[in-house]
Amino acid sequence: MPKWLRYALLCIFWWGVFGFLSKIGSTKASPIQMQILFTIGMLPLVAAALLRRKIDRDRVGAAYGVLIGVLAGLGGIGYFAAMQAGKASLVGPVTSLFPLLTVLLAVGILKERMNKIQVAGVIVGLISIAVLSV
Amino acid sequence: MPSWILYSCVVIVFWGVVGLFQKLGTNRVSAHTLVVWLTVGYILLVPILLARTGVSGLGRMTLLIGVLGGFTNGLGAWYLFASLEAGAKASIAIPLTALNPLLTIILAFSFLGERLTPVQWVGIAAALIAGAMISYETEA
Repeated sequence: MPKWLRYALLCIFWWGVFGFLSKIGSTKASPIQMQILFTIGMLPLVAAALLRRKIDRDRVGAAYGVLIGVLAGLGGIGYFAAMQAGKASLVGPVTSLFPLLTVLLAVGILKERMNKIQVAGVIVGLISIAVLSV
Repeated sequence: MPSWILYSCVVIVFWGVVGLFQKLGTNRVSAHTLVVWLTVGYILLVPILLARTGVSGLGRMTLLIGVLGGFTNGLGAWYLFASLEAGAKASIAIPLTALNPLLTIILAFSFLGERLTPVQWVGIAAALIAGAMISYETEA
């Protein structure tokens, strides 16, 4: 198995486990408590990243990063709220549709173009949300 | 409309905007640099969150599960970067990793006894396929 594929499968594994742990944790802890604990859990990995790699010096890049963290953290609270309210087997697939908005924003704001597969994906994604909303 | 889907749509809005800023951020700094700053953002939220609720009332097992949640999520991101650095084509690796909820489904079925209606099966199958299709970016 090529190295990249092994790593990609490990990524699937750990993110899949993350969804499962989020569901179990959310049955006992509130979404806000989960987000606090989640942040603590990230710290050892970030410390490792800091030790191993050089950090690029760029103020605008840093500002984007901090903003991303705040928005992703607020989204995380919504994620744990969804996990608390619904089944992990539904919340996992639906929340992973977030790139649907990213590609639409990239078209609107960055003037990027979607390929045909992405356009079809956006349509299928919207249909899936509609189907699950019934 | 069930409340979980409303919350999930809120998540799509926040994380969808995050995706846009990620594109803008990685134009200027490496993915690793962005992760470090992103964590600063996460940490900035913590005092605000702690002002609303503490975590002292939680059992040890719940504390561990919550912390492991953050750790496993970070590990997943770590391996995605490693995969891309090992020469994975982004157009293949990212749609592939978008299939990660498949494992969540298997775990939730096996250990939590979750079951879905036929309509919900159609919905999540469509969501998973759509997730993979949307993240298929052809090299520019």
